[in-house]
Amino acid sequence: MKILRVVVTGGVGAGKTTFIRTISDTDVIDTDKRATDETANLKPQTTVAMDFGTLLLPGKDSLHLYGTPGQARFEFMRDILIKKAQACVVLANATREVDLLYARSVIELIEGQLQIPYLVGLTHTDLLSGGLLDVSAALGEAPITNVNVTDKTSVKMALTKLLEQL
Amino acid sequence: MINISMLQSELQNFVSGASDVQGAALVSPDGLALASVLPGPMDEERTAAMSASMLSLGERIGRELSRGSVERIVVEGEKGYGVLVSCGSDAVLLVLASSGAKQGILFLEIKRIVGKLTPLVG
Repeated sequence: MKILRVVVTGGVGAGKTTFIRTISDTDVIDTDKRATDETANLKPQTTVAMDFGTLLLPGKDSLHLYGTPGQARFEFMRDILIKKAQACVVLANATREVDLLYARSVIELIEGQLQIPYLVGLTHTDLLSGGLLDVSAALGEAPITNVNVTDKTSVKMALTKLLEQL
Repeated sequence: MINISMLQSELQNFVSGASDVQGAALVSPDGLALASVLPGPMDEERTAAMSASMLSLGERIGRELSRGSVERIVVEGEKGYGVLVSCGSDAVLLVLASSGAKQGILFLEIKRIVGKLTPLVG
């Protein structure tokens, strides 16, 4: 029985907590608090430490999913969590340029120091009216997939794609 | 309306008045500083975020392990204490104290300052 630790990170409101809630077999441990900064324009609650969910894989292995907060002031939490991760999902709201830039900074961290498999999950792609932002300019050759974080099948597909790299 | 200057002066009085207290920060539950009196090199933004993370994780662990509602989170290091308490539902208080601090007195002082600060953020 192996346990694989996967970190789900990305910008504010990209869908990290929802991603984990959608797929977890167990009740998700969250640390949501009322948002009082500009985050409140996006959503009422925000993660201030981490989310934790689990998923049984076929066979006896299981995934432990750790979600990070999205705001820059919580970067230390991301650093703590990602250090022990064996793979990483970087979610980016495809309608927000800042999210793509944030994703790129995480990719640089992963490719530079951690060297673990990762996958960029583009979220909110249904809200794109004026066409996709220039994702390839921001993210280059990074492995990318679209993901609907509220849909179990879609989240599962993204995780499968990530685990194929292991 | 939260009176920031009153918060700040209450904190300032607390830090300079209470024995062995070296610093304090009042932050929102989502990790934004409301007022702080911190030792020189400590970054306010980062300290505020850490305080919120720590208290929320501690409360969550308390619940998960059936410890009832959490009174305080204490980090006891070689060089002193970091104590986190809720200050009503809208703020978190971090208090830094030296290793020479007497715990009983420290916790009592913290209870008193929480009593003063809570109505100001409520």
